[in-house]
Amino acid sequence: MANFRRFRPDDLNKLSKCNLDPFTETYELGFYLQYYAKWPSLFQVAEDQHGNIIGYIMGKLESSPDVYRFSEHYLPWHAHITAVTVAPEARRLGIGKLLTEQLEMAADANNAWFVDLFVRVSNHKAIAFYKSMGYSVFRVVKDYYGEHSSDPTLSSEDAYDMRKPMKRDVKKEHIREDGEKYEVTPADVW
Amino acid sequence: MPSYRFGRPALRANVDVQLQTAFSDGNWNAVIRLAAKRAATLKDPYYEVIKVCAEAQLDGTAEKVAVLAVIDELVKNKKTPDIDTIELYEWACRDFFDYEVEYADTLGPLRVRWAKANPSSPLALQCLQACLERWDLVSAQQIATTLDKTYANLADRRYMFWNITLTFLLSISPQCTDASRKVYSLLALRQLERAADVTENSSKLESTDRGLLTEEEICLYYRVLSSHGTKEEYISRLRSSKLGAISQLKEGRKLLFCESLNALEGWAEWDLIYNLCREALTLGLEGSTSPFAVCDLQIWKKFALAASKTTDLESALAEVQTTLKEYIDIKDKASEMYKKNLSLALLETTFRLPATTSNPDHDNAGLSPRVVQIGLFLDQYFERLSGFDDIKGYVAELSFEEAKTLMEEVIPKILDENADKARKIVLKALECKLRYLLSTCPQTLSAEPNVIDGETKPKPFRCRLCNNPASLPCETCLKKLTTEASNTYKQITGDQEILDSLPRLDRDPRLDLALVMGNSLLKLSGLRPRTSDAGQSLWRDVEPGSFLQAVLLLDIQLRETPGDTQLRMLLVQLYLLLGCVSYAYQLWTPLDVKRTIQDSLSPLFFDRICTLSPGLFRGTRPLMEPLRSFYNHSLIDRSPVRIWDAFSAGSYTSILDMVEFDGNLRRSCTLMMTLVEERRAIRCYGGKVDCEIEEHPLAENIDDSTTLVAKTDYGPFANLESLHGPPIHEYLRLGPGLSNERSHLAFLSEQYIDLLSYKPPKDYRPSKTNEVALRDREYTLETLSRLSNSLTDFLHKPTTPSRLTAPESTYYTVLSLLSAALLIALSTPRTEPVPDTLSLLMSSIKSAFGSLRTGFFSSPSAQQKQRIPPACQSLADMHTLSHVRETALAIKHSATFVLAFHEKELARDRSGRSGLHRDVIAQMKALNELAGRALVEVKGHMLKLKEALGEGGWLDRLLDLVFGSDEEQQGEKEDEVTRAVSEVVGGRAAAEEWAGKVIESWREGVKGWGMVRME
Ligand SMILES: CC(C)(COP(=O)(O)OP(=O)(O)OC[C@H]1O[C@@H](n2cnc3c(N)ncnc32)[C@H](O)[C@@H]1OP(=O)(O)O)[C@@H](O)C(=O)NCCC(=O)NCCS
Repeated sequence: MANFRRFRPDDLNKLSKCNLDPFTETYELGFYLQYYAKWPSLFQVAEDQHGNIIGYIMGKLESSPDVYRFSEHYLPWHAHITAVTVAPEARRLGIGKLLTEQLEMAADANNAWFVDLFVRVSNHKAIAFYKSMGYSVFRVVKDYYGEHSSDPTLSSEDAYDMRKPMKRDVKKEHIREDGEKYEVTPADVW
Repeated sequence: MPSYRFGRPALRANVDVQLQTAFSDGNWNAVIRLAAKRAATLKDPYYEVIKVCAEAQLDGTAEKVAVLAVIDELVKNKKTPDIDTIELYEWACRDFFDYEVEYADTLGPLRVRWAKANPSSPLALQCLQACLERWDLVSAQQIATTLDKTYANLADRRYMFWNITLTFLLSISPQCTDASRKVYSLLALRQLERAADVTENSSKLESTDRGLLTEEEICLYYRVLSSHGTKEEYISRLRSSKLGAISQLKEGRKLLFCESLNALEGWAEWDLIYNLCREALTLGLEGSTSPFAVCDLQIWKKFALAASKTTDLESALAEVQTTLKEYIDIKDKASEMYKKNLSLALLETTFRLPATTSNPDHDNAGLSPRVVQIGLFLDQYFERLSGFDDIKGYVAELSFEEAKTLMEEVIPKILDENADKARKIVLKALECKLRYLLSTCPQTLSAEPNVIDGETKPKPFRCRLCNNPASLPCETCLKKLTTEASNTYKQITGDQEILDSLPRLDRDPRLDLALVMGNSLLKLSGLRPRTSDAGQSLWRDVEPGSFLQAVLLLDIQLRETPGDTQLRMLLVQLYLLLGCVSYAYQLWTPLDVKRTIQDSLSPLFFDRICTLSPGLFRGTRPLMEPLRSFYNHSLIDRSPVRIWDAFSAGSYTSILDMVEFDGNLRRSCTLMMTLVEERRAIRCYGGKVDCEIEEHPLAENIDDSTTLVAKTDYGPFANLESLHGPPIHEYLRLGPGLSNERSHLAFLSEQYIDLLSYKPPKDYRPSKTNEVALRDREYTLETLSRLSNSLTDFLHKPTTPSRLTAPESTYYTVLSLLSAALLIALSTPRTEPVPDTLSLLMSSIKSAFGSLRTGFFSSPSAQQKQRIPPACQSLADMHTLSHVRETALAIKHSATFVLAFHEKELARDRSGRSGLHRDVIAQMKALNELAGRALVEVKGHMLKLKEALGEGGWLDRLLDLVFGSDEEQQGEKEDEVTRAVSEVVGGRAAAEEWAGKVIESWREGVKGWGMVRME
């Protein structure tokens, strides 16, 4: 039922299975293409036999901008998962995991210290998903999201910044056990 | 990025503070005065430049364009200004590019000269970027070549590949002259071939070598090769030791492998595909790649397909099976998804085997290995959401005996008696879907003599499942299916244990059951694919009872499962067909089709929307604003969005794909739909369109030779149909989907309307009236002749008829006739006889328009009247009514245009010599009257509709259609399908709310129509 391959722009015309699901955000064209332009091998898709995209991951490799080098929040060379999504009909088949593993392989190949991502604290499925693959909470970003996904009375929602150390981090210096206790503001993350 | 993007460029540091301040404050008069002074005293030409650039910021046209003349001069004189000057000029001209001047004729060449003179300056790179941002490939390629020469053998390999990529892009771009196309093609190819040879021949390639090193570089080579090289070259390289697909795969690079399979398939090189797949899959088994790296279903399918096309098919297929078996042996190590892929691969290979091999003894034709495999697959996956889609294609391929065995013997045995109730229900739902699928497969019918005793039978087949006379699909089977699905549905709702277990399931089985019932009812209603002969009222061939039952049932189901997009999308289409547009919009909105996905998904709601309900455009928020802003946003620059990012990252295949994507987006049928629907709606309410459609920035590069691309995504439909017939969305659309042909006709028709409605600006009073009148006339005739030719050409394309609804076809035909008629009317001197063609054209117009009108206004047959209120007929056919109106208006405006022309000429030239021929005037008056009468008729019809909907009793009328009236119910026994539906939806009382919504939406639509202008 599925093929894995690199994203191509034409796939944007086949996103309905993933993007009509309310948990998946649809971005401006430039956002997708920026990733495809800069990190094409970190933008992978799973497609079904009709060419519909049933899952994709978008990621990047970077460090924090140089001006923050001496900030306590500076992030060294790492991979970041910007989006990962699997169409409802294709969930729990390991597609999300395979996509993430591919990105982790690329992170290792590029000598990254860790892979990180942001997730809504209310997105329990996704948190369970990441935890099952060895990610842990590194810090909590207060009011990271502009609106709350499930409670319309709230005007914001916190994010977990989750991480998984890569091979380079032999001493596991870039993760912490009690990340839930470290709170930062959106201004501290770039 | 040139600095002006973020504001004004900085002036040179040595410019005095006073001038700097004036410049940064945008105090242009001061800048001009100061710069002139400095130029005189300091004799530095830079100040002249500042002055001219400041002048270009003033409002007067002459000052504005002075800078263009200066630049023109520089370009002609082969001068190379300094980079500050270039930056200033580029900033000063920023609003002229693409309209007044081409970058490639002005700043581009200046940048090239500068870069060539200063190749090792870091600013040369900025010149390249600037040219790319203006998508001036000619200049960009020249700069890239210069940079490549300057930085040859540097560890930064991008210069070399920018040069090659740009040379290739130029060779396939319209910016390239035909004369140089060949040269650039060869240049790109040869450079890459040389690089490929360097790689093949060196034992270890360094990053300073001019070979192919990265995956992107290698794939660029193959892309160029497949475009400009020969198949033989491509194939031989594909097998080479370093750059071959397999050796690349061993390095963990999959892209080339995937791309080359597609290329080879295009050339039907099946032997090669077979070998490549075999080798690639073997790598995984040997441990040379990660084990399941290429275990994609597509690879298995290609492998099996290629095997079935080889000469020694039996041993090739045996090899496929052996490889597959080896994988199955290690499948415990695989993730769920690969396990499933392997199971599907097993199915695929079984189905590719010739019948003799797969079922040699024929002793049990029904329980063939194919059926056994499907059974095994279902054992594991029947509960999965995608289970049906996975096997659907295979089931539809089964012979009748096989299908019967599958349904009667295999599926019932998947679960035993004591199995969990919920699982049993899920299996039952799947069975229902499969039965529906089979009803769309011709092997379930057997042919019968269709003439018996001299009488032709309406149903020339017999259903092999129920043994009744049938046509496809078999009505008896569909009815039975509907009632059984309904029983299962009730079983769920009546059993708390099952209800409690629903959240555990992949999906609520009631959804599947509702879809089966809904689809069956639609088929029972007689709904056919809405091809070019549709567009007339739905109710001409559709039985309202079953159709409305389907809508009601699905609507009630949506309340249970509001998050299901397939169901929602289906309902949106059904309500559009019914003419409940505002309600369809309510259902559409939560799908949140926004930003990037609009291009592929918005046609599912917006195509033809103005013909259904222009009132929708009068809502509080501009209906198509999000679409328009998506295109404005994405296409504002000539260069593809984010293209420089791809250059700077060295993502060469991304560059090529982004360029192609950008080209398609600029030619999108959805884009044209956006422009046209909105203009039509604006006209409905007497508004003014922003600009002529041809002048619209988004239609800038579209002409007759442009192929417009339709990329509508039908992925969101639950398609239970087999491949033997059309997919479900073809039954649900208002008519044929977006197409190049229809989009062009729409574009041309809008141009015609622009011509008719052109009015010179109020303050425009030319001095040489005669000269201007002549020029105007010439322009009008030229435009008419062009439009008439183009409309005719597009209408006569063999593919066009099947791309239009009947009313569209009439509308465009009438426009093409009108443009030809106007051409004759306006160009025949009054002293000469009017060519006969004119009256021919006139009678064609009248007859085409006449049949459109009678088609709509003729009263429905007695039988139809009985079932459905006349108002409903129209409500489901506003598409035709709106075309009667549009056509009438086009006729009226054409006639008025000619008559006004005549009046103007009489006023200008009192001798009357330049006026039009008497007969022409008479003909036009006749047209005018004809159109006027039709418009009165349309208006009257709208009023009648409004009155009809204003009457009481609609709720009952609608519910009677769904459930039958009291007499019907009492007279005969209620038919079992209606009862089945009624039980699922909770009876007539429960359907009242729904009926209310439908009626309300009709009323709202008619209200919107009531305000539409008829002049
Ligand atoms: C999160 C998501 C990507 C997971 O994709 P998936 O392909 O279904 O996940 P996988 O099958 O690879 O799951 C791997 C493991 O993650 C865990 N997991 C995944 N989904 C889970 C769920 N709903 N509940 C609990 N655990 C879950 C399981 O441990 C699972 O292994 P298992 O199936 O063997 O038990 C998918 O649910 C999704 O697209 N959600 C919506 C978009 C989203 O929230 N994205 C994340 C934003 S940061």
